[in-house]
Amino acid sequence: MRRVLVAALLVATAAAVFASIGSGAPGGSSVTISNEQGTTWTCGFNPFNGSTQFLSAGTVYEELTFVNGLKSGSTTNWLASSYTWGKGNKTLTFTMRPGVKWSDGKPFSAADVLFTFDMLKKNPALDLNAAWSVLKSVRQQGSDKVVFSFKTSAVPYFYYIADQTPIVPQHIWASVKNPVTYKDPHPVGTGPYTMSACSPQVIKYAKNTSYWQKGLPKIDTVFYPAFTSNDPANQQLASGEAQWGSQFIPNIKAYYLSKNADNHYWFPPLVNVDVFFNLKDPVVSNIAVRKAIAYAIDRSKVSQIGEYGYEPPANQTGIVTPTFGSWLDTKAASTYGYNPAKAISILTKAGFKRSGNGTFTTPSGKPLALRIINIGGYSDWVASVQVIQNQLKAVGIQLTAENLSSTTYDTDLFNGKFQLAYSGNESGGPAPYYELRQILYSKNSAPIGQTAATNWERYSNKTTDALIEQYGATTSSAQQRAIVKKLEAVMVNEVPVIPVTESVDWYQYNTKSLGGWVTQGNPYAKPAAYEHPDWAVMLLHLRPAG
Amino acid sequence: MRFVVRRVAFFVATLWAAITINFLIPRLMPGNAAIAMLGRYRGRINPAALHALEIAFGINTHQGLVSAYFSYLGNIVRGRFGTSLTFFPDAVMHEVLQALPWTLGLVGLTTILAFIAGTLIGLISAWRRGGMLDGVLPPIFVITSAFPYFWLALLAIWLFAIKLGWLPENGGYDVKTNVAWSWTFIADVIRHSILPAATILATSVGGWILTMRNNTISVLAEDYVRMARAKGLSSWRIMWTYAGRNAILPNLTGFAMSLGFVVSGAILVEFVFNYPGVGWMFLQSVENQDYALMQGLFLMITVAVLVAILAADIATAILDPRTRDSR
Repeated sequence: MRRVLVAALLVATAAAVFASIGSGAPGGSSVTISNEQGTTWTCGFNPFNGSTQFLSAGTVYEELTFVNGLKSGSTTNWLASSYTWGKGNKTLTFTMRPGVKWSDGKPFSAADVLFTFDMLKKNPALDLNAAWSVLKSVRQQGSDKVVFSFKTSAVPYFYYIADQTPIVPQHIWASVKNPVTYKDPHPVGTGPYTMSACSPQVIKYAKNTSYWQKGLPKIDTVFYPAFTSNDPANQQLASGEAQWGSQFIPNIKAYYLSKNADNHYWFPPLVNVDVFFNLKDPVVSNIAVRKAIAYAIDRSKVSQIGEYGYEPPANQTGIVTPTFGSWLDTKAASTYGYNPAKAISILTKAGFKRSGNGTFTTPSGKPLALRIINIGGYSDWVASVQVIQNQLKAVGIQLTAENLSSTTYDTDLFNGKFQLAYSGNESGGPAPYYELRQILYSKNSAPIGQTAATNWERYSNKTTDALIEQYGATTSSAQQRAIVKKLEAVMVNEVPVIPVTESVDWYQYNTKSLGGWVTQGNPYAKPAAYEHPDWAVMLLHLRPAG
Repeated sequence: MRFVVRRVAFFVATLWAAITINFLIPRLMPGNAAIAMLGRYRGRINPAALHALEIAFGINTHQGLVSAYFSYLGNIVRGRFGTSLTFFPDAVMHEVLQALPWTLGLVGLTTILAFIAGTLIGLISAWRRGGMLDGVLPPIFVITSAFPYFWLALLAIWLFAIKLGWLPENGGYDVKTNVAWSWTFIADVIRHSILPAATILATSVGGWILTMRNNTISVLAEDYVRMARAKGLSSWRIMWTYAGRNAILPNLTGFAMSLGFVVSGAILVEFVFNYPGVGWMFLQSVENQDYALMQGLFLMITVAVLVAILAADIATAILDPRTRDSR
C-alpha cells in the first residue's frame, strides 16, 4: 500500500511541475490559423504541387496581379506594376515592378517570370490551371516587360496567369532537376513572409523584413497548425488560441459567437451546389422532368435544414448572390420559385400520369423514380438531399439517394455513370462567367464512360459554346454582362443543372488583439485561409489592435 | 534449440505469405489513385495536368502483375516503399518514420503500462480476494473499459481541457513551442500526452485485470500451490513464483500481440486528440488509394506482430519448460 501511495505522490508532483511550465509565447505580434485540412504538413512548399500550394502561394511566392474574387475580379497590381491587352485581346503585356527582391537578397526581374512560365510549359504536371492550353508563347521584351501571346482571345485566362500562377526565382529553380517531384523545403520568394520553421504539426512563418511594400507586414509571426479533424480545430477557435478560422462549425452561435464578444464570422458565397442531371439519361433528358424538379425544390428549406442556414439558397440563373449580385438578371432569377402545384401541372401536361396516391408514372407507364448520387461523408449534403427527397415526394416524384464513398462518387460523376448527382464546382472564379463556363462549355465535357473535367451533366449546345467563346474576346464590362445574361437565360430555359445552395468561404475571426480583417463591408480579398493568394492580402491588412 | 529453429522457420513462411497478400490486397480494391487525386483537387486541376501527374506518380503504367511483384519484393529488401501520394513528393519511409515515434511513445508506453498495472492488480486482488483492493479497483476498471473510447476521451477533454483548463486538448505539443531537445519542449510533450494516455489506460487496464485475476484464482486451486503452502514457503514467494508465473502465461501471448499492433497506432485516439501518429496516416492512405503508403504501413504492422509473437513464443518457452519438450 505504501508503494502505491509513493507512486501516486510522484505522479502528482510530476503533473504539477509540468503544469507549472507554461509554453512561453514568443515576443511580437502573431496570428494563429485554424483550418482543418485533414492532414499533417509535409513541410514541402512547392507552389505547383496542388496539395501544398496554398501554404506558399501568396505569402512566400507572389503573383503578377491580385484579382479580387469578391469584387467581380477588380485588380491590384502586385509584382507587375501594370498590364495591357493588345492585338484583339490576343497579347497581354506585363511591366515588372522595379526594386523587388527575393528573400535571399537577389533582385526579382522579368526573367524570373519568363522562367516560371517556361517551366510550366516543359512540365505539364505543374500547369494546374492549363495556362498552356491557350498560350502560344511567352517572351521577354526589354528589361522589364513580359509578353504573353494567346492562340485565341483569352481574356478570362488573365485570372489564371496573373493571379493563380506564383512566380519562382530562376536562380534557384533553374538547378532543380525535376520540379514536379521537388519538395521545396526552404522556399525563397518575394512575399511578405518567409517560412521560418516547419514540423508535421505546425508551420511558422516569419515577417520578411525587406519586403517591397514598405512598413508591411505588421504581424511578426504566423502560426499554421495542422489539424486532422474538425473538433480540435474548432476548439482552438472557440478558446481564442487561434484567431483566424476557416472552419465549418456546427451551431456557430452557441459554440463560437457566445464564447467571446470579439468573435465574429462571415461566410461569403462563391459557387453553387447543384443537382446535376445526366442529360444522356432517357428520363431526366426530358426537360419537363427537370423543370418540375426545379419548381418542387424549396431551396430556402434545404439551406436552413441541410446547411444550418450558413450556405444561402441559390437561384436558377447560376449567379451567386450577393457576391455577384450586379450580374444577376433579377427577373430570370425569380422564375422557379418554390411552387409544387406548378411542378405537378408541368408533369401532367408533358404526359406523365398521376395515380390515386399522388405518385407519377412516365408516359410509357413506368413509375417516375429517380436516383441521385451523393458523398456519404459530407453530412450537410446528405441532409440537404434528404430534404430534397421529401420535397419531391410531395409532388409525386420518388428519389432514392445513394451515399457513396468519395472515390466511387468521383468515378461515377466524372464518367457520367449517374442519373442525378448532388455536387458543386468548387473552383469557380472571380466572376460568375467562370462557373457558368465550367458547367455549360461542351469542351469541358466528355462522352459517357470518359472523364469529364467539369461539365458532368454532358450539356452541349453550339450557340452556348459560341457565347462562352465570345466572352473570352472582350474586355468590355458591358459586353461581358450582356453575354452572361444570355448564359443565365440558358440556365433558366434549359435547366441543365439546378443550383440549390451556394457554398461559401468559411471564415471566423477574433478582433481582440488583431484588426484589419476582411468584413462584409470591406471585402478586399477572399477571407478563408485556404484561398491563395488572397490569404497573403489579408495578412498584409492585419495589424495589432488598439 | 529445435524449438527456436522451428519457430523461426514458421516466422519466415508467414512473413512471405503476408508480404504477398500485402501486394495483392490494394490491387484488388475498387477505385484508382488517379480518380482519388482528381477528387482531392475537386475541379482545381485540369485533366492534362492530371495525366502528367499520373506519369510522375507512376500510376496507370500498365506494368504486368508478375514483374510488379518482383520489383516490389526487391524494393522491400532494400527498404524502399516508393513515393507517397498523400504526402507527395515524400518517400513513404520518411513519412512513416516521422509519425512512428509519436505512436510508439504514446500507444507503446500505455500498452506496456496497462499490461503491468493490469497484471499486478489482477494478481494482488486474486491473492487477497475480498480485500480492499479487490473490492475497489477491478470493478472500477472493468466499468471504465466498457465505455466506448471516443466517449470517454471527449468527456475527458470536456472536463480537464475545456472546463478546468488543466491540460491541453489536442496535438502532440504546443504550436508555439520551439521543437528542440529542451526541457520546455519535453515537458510540453508530456503535458500533451497525459490526457490521451490516461484515457487509453482507463479503457485498456480492465481487460488485463480480469484475465489475470481469473487465471490466478484457478492456479491457486492447483495442487502445487497447496504443496508450496504445506512446505511453509513465504506467501510472497508463492504469489510471485508459483501463482504469478503460471497465471501470466496465457496473458503473455495476448500482450505480445497487442505490442505488435502498437505500430498500427490508435486511430480513434489520434483522431480525437489530433495526435500526429501512424493510425491516422493509415486511414488517410486508404482514403486516398495511396498504395505505396498502405503497403509500407501494412508491412510494418505485419512484421511487428510476427516478431512480437515469435518473442512471446520464446518467452513462454523460457517461463514454461513444458512447451520446450512438446512435439
